[in-house]
Amino acid sequence: MEKVLSIQGISKRYGRIQAVNGLFLEISRGQVFGLLGPNGSGKTTTLSILLDLVRNDSGSFEWFGEPPSKESRKRIGSVIESPNFFPYLSAVRNLRIVADIKGKPYDDIDEALTLTGLYDRRNDRFKTYSFGMKQRLAVASALLGNPDVLILDEPTNGLDPQGIAQMRDLIRMIAQKGITIVLASHLLDEVQKICTHVAVLRKGIKLFDGEVSEVLAVSELVEVSSENMEALKEAISGHAEYKSLTRSEDKWLVYFKNPVRPGELNEYMHRKGIVLTHLSERKRTLEQHFLELLNDNR
Amino acid sequence: MKRLLKIELKKILTYKVFWILMGLYFVFLILGILMAGFIINSWVDEVNKHIPIAIPHVRFYFFPDIWQNLTFFASIRYILIFPAIVIIILITNEFTNKTIRQNVVNGMSRNEFLFSKLQVIFFMALFITFILAAGILILGISNTDAQGMAMIFKKMSFAGGFFIQIFSFMIFAFFLGFLLRNTGLSIAIFTLYALIIEPVLYFILKIPKLQPNNISQFLPVNSVVRVVEYPYFPMLKNFMGLRIQEQLSLLDCVVPLIYSAVMIGIVYFVLSKKDL
Repeated sequence: MEKVLSIQGISKRYGRIQAVNGLFLEISRGQVFGLLGPNGSGKTTTLSILLDLVRNDSGSFEWFGEPPSKESRKRIGSVIESPNFFPYLSAVRNLRIVADIKGKPYDDIDEALTLTGLYDRRNDRFKTYSFGMKQRLAVASALLGNPDVLILDEPTNGLDPQGIAQMRDLIRMIAQKGITIVLASHLLDEVQKICTHVAVLRKGIKLFDGEVSEVLAVSELVEVSSENMEALKEAISGHAEYKSLTRSEDKWLVYFKNPVRPGELNEYMHRKGIVLTHLSERKRTLEQHFLELLNDNR
Repeated sequence: MKRLLKIELKKILTYKVFWILMGLYFVFLILGILMAGFIINSWVDEVNKHIPIAIPHVRFYFFPDIWQNLTFFASIRYILIFPAIVIIILITNEFTNKTIRQNVVNGMSRNEFLFSKLQVIFFMALFITFILAAGILILGISNTDAQGMAMIFKKMSFAGGFFIQIFSFMIFAFFLGFLLRNTGLSIAIFTLYALIIEPVLYFILKIPKLQPNNISQFLPVNSVVRVVEYPYFPMLKNFMGLRIQEQLSLLDCVVPLIYSAVMIGIVYFVLSKKDL
């Protein structure tokens, strides 16, 4: 796979706060890459460094296999934090400035405005827009000139539920065009719905990265107990789908690699000569799982 | 270079505040220039009532002295401050709207950003100088007798001096606006400094004991004003011993340009090091 972005150990310190701490990351063409982490985990700082807004203290990075330059940034569309435009200019005039900077023709402007649902308001001044519209204009601006990469920093932040749904549809639509996407978010749910790959950050350090299906896979969880807890432990660890278990008061919490039906499990234990006194399925929410991921590495 | 100028024009030409302030500036400039000669000669008439030998009227709108007279009035601090404030607004807008960040993200280098703003200042200074020179030519031609017309371009270099004045003054404003990043604060500090603090400082430094080597003339705003320090009224020289220039002095022209160069250098350095 062609490397789009390669980060080699970048760090950034703001006074006493180490915002990014020796981050390594590789992103390949066509990935929808999520940077997942709670607020203050260094996502925005990382993206700001990648876009030359913030100077890194150490480390380096390459866009498209070359040292970063204004030319590489012209191939990247970005939505960073709040939408930044001239309030007294219309959407079209603001986008013309963007096209001029990127050295791209104005032909794409109408298409970008149509795609983001702003075409009817294209000649209104930016300051008359609602927040959702401003955010969509930022996406329209990022799409000008067919970028190779789209960077989105918390694109659904501050939007109402309808706005969030529209934004996610928009991102999926863009991903289908084969544009590589880097998406920073503190919402696990968002990353899981949109991304193919993910890196989990905490306090400027990367905890994991990999395919979303691996990193964020939710294993099945079952609570069991019996008269003889040790025999139960031994028997259940022989199950084909067994992954791990932990003790919770008088029960075992058992993780399975794949879903196991309670009836099937009961039958299995029966065959092993164990009578269960308790058996129940427990679904972990994604948020619980995310918090566990973060806590495991404290 | 043309591309950057095109971008800047898009930012400026539909900006109402820009047109209002520039409109006010040209109104003040034109009124000031048209009234200056009238005011001065009525002052001469007043003086003549009290002295036995009458002073002749100042040949205010006559070639070649009109170049010096009008560039002097166009470069007094109270008029020069208008385009300076416009520049402060244009640069601090980039920070308050965060469009400087957006421009860099979109693929403008930091140096290009600086260069585009310098272009705006350069061409605005050039445009204002051009308008003033056109005004001087019109007024001069309609007022000068045939004999004076031979001297039409003799003191035209004062227009060049005016360009240095307005360019440097706008660079000072750009410098402050860039460092403070805040529109209101920058305008307040710049106005306060240029119109009050520095004149007071100049006055204090002028006390002979405090300044053995004429240090006060090198204060930044004063160095700008000094390029065309007085209109060409020989009688002022006779009565008050003022330094009436026959021509521009090279040193006077170089000092504000050195200030400008240092300030641009500092902005370049800060811009390349600092987070946006």
